[in-house]
Amino acid sequence: MTDQAINTGAGRPAVSPQAVVDAARPTGVRQIDYRPDAFNPAPSRRFYFLMMTPSIVLLAGISIYPFIWLIYMSLHTVGEAGQPDVWNDFKNFTRFATDGKFQNGWLLLIKYSAMCMVLEVGLGVLLAVILNRSKLEKFLVTIILMPMMMAPIIAGLVWLFLYNGAFGWYHWLLQSIGILGPTSVLGDSDIAMFGLVAVDVWQWTPLITLITLAGLKRVPQDQLEANMVDGAGPLRNFISVALPNIYPFLLIAVLLRFMDNFRFIDAILILTGGGPADATNMLPVYLFDVSFQYFKLGRGAAVALTLLLVTIVLGMVLVKLFEDPRRKIKVHGREEG
Amino acid sequence: MVEVNIQSVWKYYGKTAAVKDLNLKCPENSFLAILGPSGCGKSSTLRMLAGLEHISAGEIFFGAVRVNQLPPKERDIAMVFENYALYPHKTVFENMANPLRLRNVNREEIDKRVRRAAELLQIDMLLDRKPMQLSGGQKQRTAIGRAIVREPKVFLFDEPIAHLDAKLRAHMRGELKHLQRRLETTTIYVTHDQLEAMSMADSIAVMHEGVLQQFGTPSDIYNHPANEWVAGFVGEPPMNFLNCRIEQGTSGVAVVHPSFRLILNDVQRRLLEEKGAEVEVRLGARPDTIAYRPGANSGLDVPAKVYVTEPLGGDMIVEVQLGADRLTVKTKIGPSANLDDPCTIGFDASRVHLFAASNGIAYF
Repeated sequence: MTDQAINTGAGRPAVSPQAVVDAARPTGVRQIDYRPDAFNPAPSRRFYFLMMTPSIVLLAGISIYPFIWLIYMSLHTVGEAGQPDVWNDFKNFTRFATDGKFQNGWLLLIKYSAMCMVLEVGLGVLLAVILNRSKLEKFLVTIILMPMMMAPIIAGLVWLFLYNGAFGWYHWLLQSIGILGPTSVLGDSDIAMFGLVAVDVWQWTPLITLITLAGLKRVPQDQLEANMVDGAGPLRNFISVALPNIYPFLLIAVLLRFMDNFRFIDAILILTGGGPADATNMLPVYLFDVSFQYFKLGRGAAVALTLLLVTIVLGMVLVKLFEDPRRKIKVHGREEG
Repeated sequence: MVEVNIQSVWKYYGKTAAVKDLNLKCPENSFLAILGPSGCGKSSTLRMLAGLEHISAGEIFFGAVRVNQLPPKERDIAMVFENYALYPHKTVFENMANPLRLRNVNREEIDKRVRRAAELLQIDMLLDRKPMQLSGGQKQRTAIGRAIVREPKVFLFDEPIAHLDAKLRAHMRGELKHLQRRLETTTIYVTHDQLEAMSMADSIAVMHEGVLQQFGTPSDIYNHPANEWVAGFVGEPPMNFLNCRIEQGTSGVAVVHPSFRLILNDVQRRLLEEKGAEVEVRLGARPDTIAYRPGANSGLDVPAKVYVTEPLGGDMIVEVQLGADRLTVKTKIGPSANLDDPCTIGFDASRVHLFAASNGIAYF
């Protein structure tokens, strides 16, 4: 009768509705329904906050302050050489509607990023799959990573030589196999863009490979085997088991690459500087020209701000996808079904 | 559906042989358990049957078909993995439907078969869940469901219930056996748990260090172990072994231990003669064949001392010190005893086993 002693000991009436419920419960199961008198205090958050303060202050100094300045500049015509800044009623933004180079810059940037992304992810995953099966994996990874280690400026210079119309090896190769006409790679407004994409793919595919390879290591062997026993061939196995497993890794890779691509300028400045005839005048290059060639700092700030905004929004969309894999899974399920 | 025939199969990993010259035959629709401790080559054998592992030497036949070179998808098998190997991004339904989808079965047929299998396994209310939302037992049922939606030639089970809790495991043993009888499919079941093998299988293959030790019915394995290793591996608590000598006395042939003498019966004596027994032997006695009584001079033949008693509710395990040897005895529950309390024990001469001391081969 210990059960009842506990229940009625809390000062309840002898027969309460609760007692009826208790009586209906299976006997021999002890029910304890009271709360502890005192809770142990949780560790103080103030300590953690204090520990973070220096880095918060530093971060504010090096990133938030300039960011506020950027917004300020984008709303003014920034005076040169000591002239005062003048408020210009959002003229920096409204003129985008008629600014052909700005619109063209966006178009080219999207084209460029899309091409890079598709090629890099495709090639990167393919390489990762090959490497994952190779016995020389460690050695090959080291070799493949080399382009990534190179500063983009240096990579640009290397490719500038390779594309050179007089002695460039790729120039010679492409002309010999008949792909390239009498022009040079970077001198032809139809081809220059592909020239730039090739450099980016060459330099950054290894990153995708590396991240994907890490993901592939995590694909459970028994799921692959179960799928094989279920009747899947290698390709089907990759698509239905490996891919869903490496999907979060791929998303991180894509996020990194796309944010990088949107602000990429080093090699482009070295290779084409936006030419020929604006064929590679992508937004970052245009931004550079406006700000540091024509010194229209207000307009430059406005361009930079739109670029930043789009990057943030797209980044958030990708992160959202990453955070909520179930959505992707549903899509996946529907594709299958 | 088909007879499985393993002929002189070897498996090498580099220079280490994991399976050595294995010969096994699992008749049509019967349940074969491959039993052994970890690293004995039982999983390698199963994986070779599944086609997940290359067969280093020898041949495997499913019926008349030699399957050595066939990839898993062409062997028409279904396998349940130790860790279930469910696809985490798919629902229970999709997990179970996967083998059918991969074989381009039409939509209604898939729906029908998955639901039927789910009902059989009592998971029909979980079909929309993801594996992450399932308990261990439910995951395991899903994994079995994925295997039975098709009608494969052979079922392969790789320790499917090893990770369940003890109570559920006991329950699933019965369920699996029932399922196998009902589906009437050749089944090969790998386990390290002798209880699973003994309770479920039609025949058991006991493996140790890549070598098949004994192949027979559960009762064969338990009552007539082929060697000392099998005798010690099968049975819980394990069999006791004592170093003894065989002596020809006036009252007949006897097994002699420093503490006691056991006179052998005629059948046992003949077996010893037929097999050319050595003088040095190992005597094996299962804990439940040894009688135990507490107290000095309590009526049994062999005086001994108690080492420890372990009451188990209805039964009691008593460890007994007999000279330099220690024996495990299983008896009905009785009063606990302290270290070095005197007791007497008695052997049932007709139920002991003798093994050659040199190589462990059983005489009887």
